[in-house]
Amino acid sequence: MKRAELISRILIVVGILLAVGAPLFFWARTPLIHARMAEDGGWNPDVIQAEVGKPLHLKFTSDDVVHGFAVGQMDMQSVDILPGKVTDITLNFDEPGIYTFFCTRWCGLNHWRMRGTIEVSGSSSDPEPATVPLYVSLKLDLDAPHDAPVVPNGKPLAISGQSLETNLPIDQSAEYYRSHSPYEVFESLQNTPLTDGQRWNAVAYFWQSNTTSESLANGRQLYAQNCAACHGENGAGNGVFADDLVQAGEASMQSMSGAMNMMMQAPVDFTDPRRMLGASPALLQGKILRGGMGTGMPMWGSIFTEQQIWDLTAYIYSFQFEYEK
Amino acid sequence: MAKIELTRIPFIKNALKSRYPQLAVFIVMLIGYIFAILAGLIGTPVGSHNFSIVFVWIAWWAILILVAVPFFGRGWCAVCPIPLPGEWLQHGAVLSPPDKRPKWLNLRVPKMFRNIWLQNISYLLLALFSSVLLTTPNITGIVLAAMLFAAIGLSTVFERRAFCRYLCPVGGFIGLYSQTAPIELRIKDKQVCVTCEGKPCYNGSSAGYGCPWDVFPGGLTKNTYCGLCMECIRTCPHDNIAVNLRPFSADLAKPSTRMDEAFKAFIMLGSAIVYAGVLLGPWGMFKDAAYNVGSSAWFIYAIVFLAIIFVVLPGLFTLGILNTKNTLPLKQRFASLSTALIPLGLMFWVAFSLSFVLTNASYILAALSDPLGLGWNLFGTANAAWQPMLTSILAPAQTLALVVGLVWSARTAQKSANEAGTSSMPVVIYCFVATSLMLWLLL
Amino acid sequence: MRFHFSLLLLVMAGLAVAFVPLPVPAITPQERTFEIDAHQFAYSPSELKVNTGDTITIQLVSADVVHGLYVYGYDISVEADPGQSATLTFVADKPGSFRFRCNITCGAMHPFMIGKLNVGSNSWLYRSIGLAALAVFGVTVSKKPKA
Repeated sequence: MKRAELISRILIVVGILLAVGAPLFFWARTPLIHARMAEDGGWNPDVIQAEVGKPLHLKFTSDDVVHGFAVGQMDMQSVDILPGKVTDITLNFDEPGIYTFFCTRWCGLNHWRMRGTIEVSGSSSDPEPATVPLYVSLKLDLDAPHDAPVVPNGKPLAISGQSLETNLPIDQSAEYYRSHSPYEVFESLQNTPLTDGQRWNAVAYFWQSNTTSESLANGRQLYAQNCAACHGENGAGNGVFADDLVQAGEASMQSMSGAMNMMMQAPVDFTDPRRMLGASPALLQGKILRGGMGTGMPMWGSIFTEQQIWDLTAYIYSFQFEYEK
Repeated sequence: MAKIELTRIPFIKNALKSRYPQLAVFIVMLIGYIFAILAGLIGTPVGSHNFSIVFVWIAWWAILILVAVPFFGRGWCAVCPIPLPGEWLQHGAVLSPPDKRPKWLNLRVPKMFRNIWLQNISYLLLALFSSVLLTTPNITGIVLAAMLFAAIGLSTVFERRAFCRYLCPVGGFIGLYSQTAPIELRIKDKQVCVTCEGKPCYNGSSAGYGCPWDVFPGGLTKNTYCGLCMECIRTCPHDNIAVNLRPFSADLAKPSTRMDEAFKAFIMLGSAIVYAGVLLGPWGMFKDAAYNVGSSAWFIYAIVFLAIIFVVLPGLFTLGILNTKNTLPLKQRFASLSTALIPLGLMFWVAFSLSFVLTNASYILAALSDPLGLGWNLFGTANAAWQPMLTSILAPAQTLALVVGLVWSARTAQKSANEAGTSSMPVVIYCFVATSLMLWLLL
Repeated sequence: MRFHFSLLLLVMAGLAVAFVPLPVPAITPQERTFEIDAHQFAYSPSELKVNTGDTITIQLVSADVVHGLYVYGYDISVEADPGQSATLTFVADKPGSFRFRCNITCGAMHPFMIGKLNVGSNSWLYRSIGLAALAVFGVTVSKKPKA
C-alpha cells in the first residue's frame, strides 16, 4: 500500500472517530436537567439530591418552550430556562428538608404540574417549630359553601368608609381580620346607625387598612404570574385556560365514574361578590395552600411563603373593593 | 455561443486532476456530516437551536439553492460526502487506482429503475413530512444517517453510485436544475472519443475509476446526470475532457422527452408553491395539518399536496397545450414543453428560500457557538438573538427573482415550442399565472 | 438598432411600473386596536389591514405558552405570557406588506408562526404582477429569441 493511501485512511478513520466520539464525550460529561411541558414529562430528572452547606450547581435547558425555575418558599429570583439554551444555577441550602422547585413561566394547561423536589440532607442548625396554618387552627371546612347571603349594590368604596370607621366597634387585630369574612364584619355593624351602603364602605376601608400598598403590589405580581392564566387578568374566572379546564372536566366526567367525577372545572370568578364576600382571608389561605383537590386548582403550600399567601389574598379582595390609589 | 474552457487554466486543471484537494474536501465534509448526525441525535431537541437543523436546513440549503445549483449545477454532488464510505468500500481504497477485481456484488441496476422515478418518490416522501423533518433534530439526524447507510448498502449490491444516480432525494432536482447552470463538463473533440480504445472514462483504467455516475462522457449533451466528480479528467488518456464556462441554461435548448424528468419539473414547481403558502403564509390551519403527521388533517394535506403536483399543475398544463396544432403526440409535446418550467421552478425556489433563509440566518450564529446545546460559547455568539435580516430588500429581491425566472422560462418556452413546431403562448401564459400566484403568496 | 431601442423602452416601462409614485388617497389616520390571540403555531387574527399613518395597538394574548410578536420592517416586538397579555403601540408610517412572527421559541413549528400586516394597499404586489406582465409582453413581441 502506498504511503499516501495509508495516511489518507488513517486520517479518515481518525476523523470519523472524532466526529462520533467528541460529541458523545462532551454530551456524557455534561449532565443537564431538561425542562419539558408537563404533558411531555416535565422536569427530567425531577428529584435532585443536595447537602446543607454545599453549593448545588445545576445546568438547566428547555427542550420545547420557555420555562422558568424557582425553589418554593425560598427567597430567590426566578430564572428563565430558554429552549436550546443552558442556564447555570447555583443554590445554597441552610436547612435540611424536602424543597419543591417549580416552573415559573406558563407552559400550557398543565404548567403547574411541572414540579420537582430537591432533597437536602444534613443537620439543622436552627430547627424552627412548625407553625400550623390559620385555617387549620380555625378548623375551617374548605369545601363547605360560604356564600354571603347579602351583597352590596356596587363595589364598596374604601375612601367613603374611611370617615365612618374611626368610631365603629370593629376589632382592629390582624387575627380578627384574617378569620372573618367581609360579610361577617358587615353583619357585626348592624347595630350602628349606618345604611347598608355605608356599612359595606366601612368594611372596604377595614380591608384596605389591613393591607399595605407593597403587599397589594406583591400580590398583584404573584396573581399575574401564577393565577391569571386561569382566573383571568381581571379575576373574572375567564383566563386563557378556563375553557380548556371546563373541556377537560367534561371529558373526565364522561370517562370516569363515582369518586373521580369531581375533576377539572371552571376556575372561580373572583368578581362574584356572593362567593368572595362570604370568604375570610383564612379560608382563602386554606384554598390556596391546599389547592382544589383535583379540580385543576394547584396546591401552593410548598411554593408560597405565608406572607406571599396573605399578599395574594389581599390582592384578590381588590376585585371586590374599590381601594384608593 | 461563447464557451470558456476552464480546464485550460493550469491551476484549475491541476487542482481537478489531482486527487488530494478533492479528498481533503471530502474528509472535512464527511466529518461535518457525521457531526451533524450526532448533533441531531444527542443535541437539543429544539430545532431552531440545533446544529443539525440549522446547518442542514438553513446554511446548507441556502448555499445549495441560492449559489451551488444556479451557478455550479451539480457542484454540490462533487463534494457531497454521502456516497463516499460506500464507494471506498466498493473500491477497496480511497486513493489508489483500482485493481481489476470488482468488490462486492457489483450488479447492474435493473432497467426499470434506471430513471429518476425513484428519486421523485424519495423526494416526495421527504416533502410530505417536511414540516416535521425541518423542525425535529432527531428526525433530521435519522434521515441523514439513513441516507449514508442507504448509499453504503446500494454500493455493496450495485455497481457505481447507484444511490446518487437513482435514489438520492436531493440529487434528482439538482440534476434537473443543473441544466440551467453556466458550468458544464464535456468532451473537447468527438472524433477522439470515437476512436478511443477501451473507453477508460467509462470502464476505468490504472489512472482512475470508470464513471461513478454510469455516464459515458463522450455522449454528454446535458448536465443532468454528470456528477462533476472529475474522475474522467483523470482517466482520459487523450486529455479530451473539459470543464467549460457557458451561457446559462444552454442545456434547455434541446428539450427532454422523458416523462420522469417532466414530472420532476412539476414536483419541484408544485412543492415550491405549497411551501410558500404553508410555511410562509399566515394560515395556521395549514401548518397544523402539515406538522401533525398521521392526523386526518395531515392526510388531507398529503392528498392535496400530491393532487397539486400530479393532477392540478400537469392537468392545467395539458389543457393549455391541448389545442396547439402539432404533429407530435401529446405525451411528447407535454414533456418537451415542460422544459420551460425548469428555470421557472428554480427561481420559485430561489424566491422562497430568500425569505426562509434571510429570516432564519441569525440562528446560524448561535448554533455555531453552541453546536451540541451544552451551554458552550465558542465564538461568543451563543446568545445572539433571533433577528430577520435584510427585510427591506427581501420583497424587491423576490420580485426580481420571479420576474427573471418568468422571462427565462418564457424564452425557454419559445425555444422548445420552435423545436416542436408549435405556439409557445399557452406555456407562457401558464408561467405568468404561476408566477402571479407565487408573488401573491410571498409578498 | 431597433432592438436596442425597444429594449430601452421596455426597461423604462419596467422602472416606471416599479417606482413611479401613485397618488395616495388621503385618509385621516385613526387609532386601531387589535387583540391577537397567539397559540402554537398561529395568530388569530393573522392578517391585519390598516391605513398608512394609523396608530396601531396590538394586545397580544398568549393562550398556551410564552409567545412573542416581531414585526418585520418595523423591527419592534412584544412578548406575552399566558395570563399576562402585553401591548405594543406604534405608528404604521411605513406602507407595504409586512410579515410578523413569533420571536420567542415556542415549539417545533415556531419558525413558521407567521402573520401579515398590510399597511395601506399592498401596492408592491400589484407592481410586481405588472412587471411580470410587462416581461411577458416584452418576451412575446421580441419575436426572434436571441439564442
